[in-house]
Amino acid sequence: MKDLIPIPIKIAALVLGSTALYTYIGQLVPQKEVLPPAAAIEIDADASPADLAVLGAEIANGKGLCLTCHTVGQGSSAGLRFPDLDGIAKRAETRIEGLGALQYMAHSIYFPDDFIVEGFNPGMPKINKPPIGLTDQEILTVLAYLESLGGTPTVTPSTTLADLGIE
Amino acid sequence: MNRKLLLVGVVALVLGVVGTLQLASYLVSREYRAPSRVEIEEPTPRTKGLVDEAQEAEQRALEQPYEEEKYREFPVIGSRVAVWVLAQLHLLFAAFVLAVPIFALIIEFIGYKTGDKRYDKLAYEFTKLLSVSFSMTATFGAFLLFMLIALYPKFMQYLSHVFTPTFLPYVGLFFLEAFFLYSYYYGWGKFSPRVHLFLGLMLNLVGTAIMFIANAWLTFMMSPAGVSETGARISTWEAVTNYTWMPINIHRMIANVAFGGAVAAAYAAFRYLSAKTDEERAHYDWMGYIGNFVAICAFLPLPFAGYYLASEIYAYSQALGIQMMGGAFSWLFIIQAALIGNLFLAANYYLWLGMGRIEAAAPYQKFIKYLLIAIALCFAIWATPRSIISTVSEVRAMGGSSHPQLGFLGVMSAKNTAVNILILSTYMSFLLYRRAGKRAVHSARKLLNTLQFSIFAITAGIVIFYGVYGYFVEAAVRIKFSVPQVLSVLLAMIVITVLDVILYKNAEETGETRWGTMPAVSQYTLIFIAVSFTWLMGLMGYVRSALRQHWHVYGVVRDTSVDAFTPTLGYATKVVSVTVLIFFALIGVVFWLASLSGRKDWEPSRKRAAVSTGAPLL
Repeated sequence: MKDLIPIPIKIAALVLGSTALYTYIGQLVPQKEVLPPAAAIEIDADASPADLAVLGAEIANGKGLCLTCHTVGQGSSAGLRFPDLDGIAKRAETRIEGLGALQYMAHSIYFPDDFIVEGFNPGMPKINKPPIGLTDQEILTVLAYLESLGGTPTVTPSTTLADLGIE
Repeated sequence: MNRKLLLVGVVALVLGVVGTLQLASYLVSREYRAPSRVEIEEPTPRTKGLVDEAQEAEQRALEQPYEEEKYREFPVIGSRVAVWVLAQLHLLFAAFVLAVPIFALIIEFIGYKTGDKRYDKLAYEFTKLLSVSFSMTATFGAFLLFMLIALYPKFMQYLSHVFTPTFLPYVGLFFLEAFFLYSYYYGWGKFSPRVHLFLGLMLNLVGTAIMFIANAWLTFMMSPAGVSETGARISTWEAVTNYTWMPINIHRMIANVAFGGAVAAAYAAFRYLSAKTDEERAHYDWMGYIGNFVAICAFLPLPFAGYYLASEIYAYSQALGIQMMGGAFSWLFIIQAALIGNLFLAANYYLWLGMGRIEAAAPYQKFIKYLLIAIALCFAIWATPRSIISTVSEVRAMGGSSHPQLGFLGVMSAKNTAVNILILSTYMSFLLYRRAGKRAVHSARKLLNTLQFSIFAITAGIVIFYGVYGYFVEAAVRIKFSVPQVLSVLLAMIVITVLDVILYKNAEETGETRWGTMPAVSQYTLIFIAVSFTWLMGLMGYVRSALRQHWHVYGVVRDTSVDAFTPTLGYATKVVSVTVLIFFALIGVVFWLASLSGRKDWEPSRKRAAVSTGAPLL
């Protein structure tokens, strides 16, 4: 018996149907538009360490991309790709002899390959360079946030790179 | 009513109205006018002001300095989508044009060595698809270049700054490719087989070189090298040989062959379905089988090339790698899993249907159900997301965004294991198909069979062991587990194939292969595979490009256009689908043009011929 529907029509329907199926699958996954990060954030000269920590949490979660790799409160190193940041301020005090927690964390940010935590591979980018490109002031806020994880923030807008032991 | 009369009436009416209007206009222009009705133009302050304004504007236009534009906007769909669709269409045709000569040459070589003319005919049939596709590739390439220059002038200027030394070799190679392609196609049967094979080899070498140059441009955008922090060129060679250049070269070459094989198989399916004779059906059934065989052979090692590419992305920038697999694009890989799962299922289904054309294949058909279970399970694991879209109460109930049990299947340890088992299962399907209708007569057949089975079992054991062990070790250790998994599967496939060739050498034929007896659904499966491959290429092309996010050149040239944001995956899949549909509309034209060469020459119909010659119609 001769087919009622011509073959090219059947093929076109198949192509259209398969494409529609994959488009539909594409609509089922979470839909999120990622906007480019804002320009450099201005920091109020009178901001308190606690204010800086709040701002730093925002930057760590957004423009700084810190929490793309690091976790906060996910437990031990097994199963993690990079060190968990929960309680980092406390652990940082004892990492390198002669370096305080703030100086250790600042050094790890500006020179990420110098101190590698045991069980992890190097891989952190220099976040003060492109593509992330945080300013020194923005890094200060991130440091305040890190200090707040297991400690009390101490940095202020007037903290200099020399205070952090970078220069 | 007489339709001709009606038409004449309408035309006469229109002509009458136009004529009347023309006559009235002529008479009014000639009529006498009293002086009071003559229009006297007296310049008013407003008119003068307008003239001054126009003169000022003209002066300003003449004095304005030349300023380079960073971006121009494409109407309605925007510049990004316009370039996206064009680039993808160019790439799809280019992939086809690069892939077909690879397997056409291999098939021609088999025909030359064995003396079997069928292979030569098949290779020619594949090559027939090339010439129109080559023109399409070149047209889309030129279109893309014009659009890039017009819409992204500043960025193109920067790429020229880094890559100018590569432009001339590219153009030279393009001329050479045109020469070798047309001499290979038109010279079929006109040269000695060796000369013709040489032309085919040169076509492949030149085509590969062209692809390598183009890959340098696009990989530089993702992992730039050879430039200073501000983007100044230090070394073009370093810019070419950036981190992701070679992985993309390898990945694209394999993917192109898989894609080319699938599209050629779709062509064969189209011809099979429209065939009028058994002979035609047999030929196109065989062509479809070979096309699919090529596609799947290339598809099996493709995930391994994908691992290599991903590991180089991580080596270049951990942030980029994590962004790809764990950040904004992680859900894209769930869509990819659905596509690849479908591809594996469809490819296996075609093979299982193919056993029906072989007499005495029944002993092997009983294994199909077990293979289906293994493939379906692996598919399900691969498509399991780490975190689930859920409501607040569901998140509370689960204790997080991951499901307490299924969440464990969403990590790379499980997914790597699943994809390796999937590859092994598909390879097993091939092996069973190969054995159907044959009986091994080798003296050591028992030993060889046991050896093959043991290798399968050991390989599956290694893959599963590393998959489970990966849950109990640190990231630094776990990440290296994919290497023994991949190597054991690759090695197993090579060794088992060699053993199978030895085992079935001079094998006894227990049943004939009846080409041309496949059910129509098998041919639609081939077309579905081609659509899925094309869609997959579109999706992966998107992720490779979108990974740069708001950068034209990652970390060097920032995208400051209105399109600097990354769209939703839903939006991206719509653009991919539109591109795929345009591609299939165009490839349909290619298929139709290729099929014209087999048609009989046009002859005047009997009736017209009789009228023109005055011969009786009887």
